Amino acid sequence: MTTPTAFASVSALVRRETSMVYDEGKEYLVEARLNPLAAARGLGLEEYVGRLAFDAEERRKVVDALTINETSWFRDHTPYQAFTDAMVPALLERRQITRRLRIWSAACSSGQEAYSIAMLLDQHLPEGWSHEIVATDISTAMLERVRAGRYSQVEVNRGLPATSLVRYFTRAGREWEIAERLRERVTVRHLNLAAPYVGLGSFDVIWLRNVLIYFDAATKTDILRRMLPMLADDGYLLLGSSETTLDLPADLAAAWRREQIGRVPAYRRAATSLTPSLTSTGA
Amino acid sequence: MSAAAHESPASEDVRAVTEDVWMVLLGEDGGLRPRTVPADAPFDAAAWSAATTISGGWHGVVTVELDEALARLLTGRMLALTDDETATDSDVADAVGELVNMVGGNVKSLMPGPSTLSLPAVAAGRAAFGSDSALACRIDLAWQDGPVRVSVHVPQGGPR
Amino acid sequence: MRAMIIDDSRAMRSILRRIVTGLDFETSEAEHGQDALDQLRAGVVPDVCLVDWNMPVMDGYTFITEVRANPAWRDITLMMVTTESEQRQIVRALAAGAHEYVIKPFTPDAIVDKLSLLGLVPA
Repeated sequence: MTTPTAFASVSALVRRETSMVYDEGKEYLVEARLNPLAAARGLGLEEYVGRLAFDAEERRKVVDALTINETSWFRDHTPYQAFTDAMVPALLERRQITRRLRIWSAACSSGQEAYSIAMLLDQHLPEGWSHEIVATDISTAMLERVRAGRYSQVEVNRGLPATSLVRYFTRAGREWEIAERLRERVTVRHLNLAAPYVGLGSFDVIWLRNVLIYFDAATKTDILRRMLPMLADDGYLLLGSSETTLDLPADLAAAWRREQIGRVPAYRRAATSLTPSLTSTGA
Repeated sequence: MSAAAHESPASEDVRAVTEDVWMVLLGEDGGLRPRTVPADAPFDAAAWSAATTISGGWHGVVTVELDEALARLLTGRMLALTDDETATDSDVADAVGELVNMVGGNVKSLMPGPSTLSLPAVAAGRAAFGSDSALACRIDLAWQDGPVRVSVHVPQGGPR
Repeated sequence: MRAMIIDDSRAMRSILRRIVTGLDFETSEAEHGQDALDQLRAGVVPDVCLVDWNMPVMDGYTFITEVRANPAWRDITLMMVTTESEQRQIVRALAAGAHEYVIKPFTPDAIVDKLSLLGLVPA
């Protein structure tokens, strides 16, 4: 059991380093994620939290443990369906000159979203087109997992079509390893969404799903403001299914236009309708 | 990670496979604890044992042994029995057989294939191993104080 | 929706039955492939079969081959649920006509996810 003081100090630590908010009521989550770390050090939770102030390495582990996002292959289906049925065909029309697509998987966690996208692009991009998927996360442990591209049997059992399992993975002992040709399309970058976005280039589709919920209102607004220049004029921003009703300041609300694409709402830059149709994205 | 036909599975892999089976069948409280048992000691509690044979690209026998209370508890969970229902011996044999089937199938995938997995053979009592087989790997675990042993035997003249 | 659960283990059938009845499926059960074929021939035709691989009398692989050979049963969705997890076995089962494949041990979510991929439960 965490005392209120211990909880407050962990929640302050995570907030300071990531801007993510762990309100009261999330004690169970903090406990569940930190207990294994404390146990690994042979300490009780209380005692472990007390040591964090003096141990940068353990602080990094705590931040990692608390920022891990639940994920699965093709989570929620519908965004992926809208991606292949509507967004990719539209982008194929509009990127005839560059023949290149850039996708951002923001808060990529263990990489299932990035690799789900990679599988779809492998199937739906015509010959002669190239693409890059940039996967960013605040957790260095997660970025390592994305780089390794290895998943447990329990993970590949969830939501991954069997045809994709045998097509894109090979068994490596107890785990399954994603095909090299998909791995080399995914660029991994360490990034705190609450900090500046430097040197990422701009994107045709940004997947920012199920992560804004962890931030307070001011940080959310700030992130959505700074996402604007990251997105191509005619690009798409995808949020989680529970994040679609956003309470934004008027000017920011006016800068984003919500458009229903298939069964999912996508956010687009409001100026899109005024720009000529042959825009291209520089990488 | 690929193993040649004469290799044994790593105990770490067999342990992880067994832990996965337990977690999935029993959920949150499916955590297995390691248990220290002297090398070569016969299993001290077996009331139920189940074995499955792998043959093809690799040859071996995977055996799970459990004590009576644990076997019944596990069976009750798998069949979702209520407190006033008791598992019959036939229920226990069925559940323990499915357990070794899951562990064995996953061990098979760690080894060179293609191989086939036999139907499980379940017995009340300790497992007996012929002199033509050699122990390749053994893990001792405990779940809610009940001992569990998973062992892998290979034909004599194989590993070791 | 109706699901036929084909597995020689009562314990496994019980686990699968609880998962799919939780999704409002009606269920029937068979102990092996031949038992399942007999039931299909007798008119118990489900929307989906959850099929184990290693079973006595007739294994799951032979069962899906038999089902796929009969055009009258082409609307039946076939999902393997088995501890067979060698990559080549998964490829074989898919080539023989299985639509999906779940490896044992599985969490209930894994079954739900796959049934939803197959369009049998709402996403």
